[in-house]
Amino acid sequence: MEDQVCPRCRTTKYRNPSLKLMVNVCGHSLCENCVDLLFLKGSGSCPECHVPLRRSNFRVQLFEDPNVEKEVDIRKRVLRDFNKKEDDFATLEEYNDYLEQVEEIIYNLVNGIDTFETNRRIEQYKKENKESIMKNKVKIGRSELELEELIEEEKQKEQMRRIGVLREETEVKKRKIRAKEALIDELMFSHGNAKEIVKTFQTMEDEEEEKIVEKATHFSTGIKFGKSGEYLLHHGQEEAPLYTYVAPIFETEGPRAPNIEEVLSGTYLEHVRAPGLDERAGGFESTISCLRALQEAVVGLYFKSS
Amino acid sequence: MFPKSSQRRNWMFKDEAELQSLRVAANKKFVDEFKSRLDPNAQQAMLSAEEEKTLLRFYEFQMRDLCKRFVPPMPKAVIGCAFNYFKRFYLNNSVMNYHPKEILVTCVYLACKVEEFNVSIGQFVANIKGDREKAADIIINNELQLMQQLNYHLTIHNPFRPVEGFLIDIKVRSNLKNPEKLRAGIDELLDKLYLTDACLLYSPSQIALASILHSASKNQENLDLYVTQTLLGGDPSRLTDLIEAVRKIRSSCKINEPPSREVIKNLEKRLEVCRNEENNPDSQVYKERMAELVEDDEERAARRYAKVSRKQAQTEAQLLGVAPLDT
Repeated sequence: MEDQVCPRCRTTKYRNPSLKLMVNVCGHSLCENCVDLLFLKGSGSCPECHVPLRRSNFRVQLFEDPNVEKEVDIRKRVLRDFNKKEDDFATLEEYNDYLEQVEEIIYNLVNGIDTFETNRRIEQYKKENKESIMKNKVKIGRSELELEELIEEEKQKEQMRRIGVLREETEVKKRKIRAKEALIDELMFSHGNAKEIVKTFQTMEDEEEEKIVEKATHFSTGIKFGKSGEYLLHHGQEEAPLYTYVAPIFETEGPRAPNIEEVLSGTYLEHVRAPGLDERAGGFESTISCLRALQEAVVGLYFKSS
Repeated sequence: MFPKSSQRRNWMFKDEAELQSLRVAANKKFVDEFKSRLDPNAQQAMLSAEEEKTLLRFYEFQMRDLCKRFVPPMPKAVIGCAFNYFKRFYLNNSVMNYHPKEILVTCVYLACKVEEFNVSIGQFVANIKGDREKAADIIINNELQLMQQLNYHLTIHNPFRPVEGFLIDIKVRSNLKNPEKLRAGIDELLDKLYLTDACLLYSPSQIALASILHSASKNQENLDLYVTQTLLGGDPSRLTDLIEAVRKIRSSCKINEPPSREVIKNLEKRLEVCRNEENNPDSQVYKERMAELVEDDEERAARRYAKVSRKQAQTEAQLLGVAPLDT
């Protein structure tokens, strides 16, 4: 990595490991010390391009290329006004034209081409679309608010969980101490084998530990670990009675037919045609047809029409 | 299986009297609906429920013969199925509305399909005397009507598989020597039972047991111990009902003569006069209806257009007072 250098005082990252480059709207970087020095009064001009700047607008440079930072800044500013969504256009083509127009404005501003003309265009656009800009702002604000609420809720739950865990831990500690005391008491006063007593207490402890381990497979929101993708859509679980399996009842309306074990163990199969080689290949077994014939024989024997 | 089947739910009846009342109702319904439309001669000829039944008996014999000499030979299950359809159909329909000789072949054809006995319509009508193309038309035209009348309850539980089950069980759990010799007697009774209403009154396993006991008594064998002890496990509460059912099934096929030819000839003649012409494939009404069904919407539109344009040309000619130019 190339060394970061403050263009004013020539300090490098190598000489001052805590060097922090800052950047402002003009896209020229300065180290933190220089910012402190130059903008003592709260505002001043950029030492390189002499654009008046405010100290509060300085922020840490995230990208190595300060031009990128500048573009990010400009983009943010432009998009604040050019905030139309795809839904606001009748066709995709119109939307694409609009996007291209925005990109053009940003490019011009970043590279200083026709700055005056471009700014005029922005002003004109603002005037023309005052209403829709306001509307979209409100819309965006609302969705942001919802997200914030969700995050807040998450935080609260997390806090609750932490309190619960803490309480659990103290509880476990107390229990352990109590168990230890009980063990000592037992050893002191009982007449049984000391080894035995130690062993039983050991197993008891193990069991308790197992009980504790089985917890925490879910987030506090009720979502399983590792399913982070979906949680924005999740709003509590639906409560419905659990499915219970009921074995189907075979109504014979007649006496009981031999079941498959009896067929296999008895001599029933001697009286059925054995399947040929090609039939066996198709999965046919003589038990099936034998069982079916036997069942159909008894089924409905008690039938009495009403 | 049978206890949960549509056969058990919808097509089992209490006794002969209930069947009789259904048939009388079907007859009455047709008479009420069509009597006013017929001329006095035909009104005279209308059949009573009793006469309808005689005709149906005759056609049941016809049906049995058709199935017996069918080429390729058909499995027994197909025959049983066809008889079931035929009986069910005429419980709710009058012979005068649908002619039995047409419904009969349709029943057999549908049974072939349902029981997966694969014959094409061409192969099928090769077994029928007379105009084969017309027969194929009749069968295909009637097939949907038949299925609708059967309420689409097409699965039939026949007594043949239960018979096999009983024979296996007898071989294993009774001391009867050579149960295979019972088969001839069993088939004989089942054959006769096609011609009765047993399949509408008793479950297939009851019919199967009856045929086995019938055959055993003919062969001077005794299966009473097998039935009372092995099969029912010594449960006497069920025994009386079962014995009663078996007795009734066996007695129902005692009277089994086809009606005499003269009676049938007379009835057929009257049927030709009074039958519902809409369902008679030889009648003008039927042909027109079929033609209408077959005709495309497009053709109809084209014909209407031709008619309208001709009329227009006529009126124009009249208005102008000149004959249309020859082009």
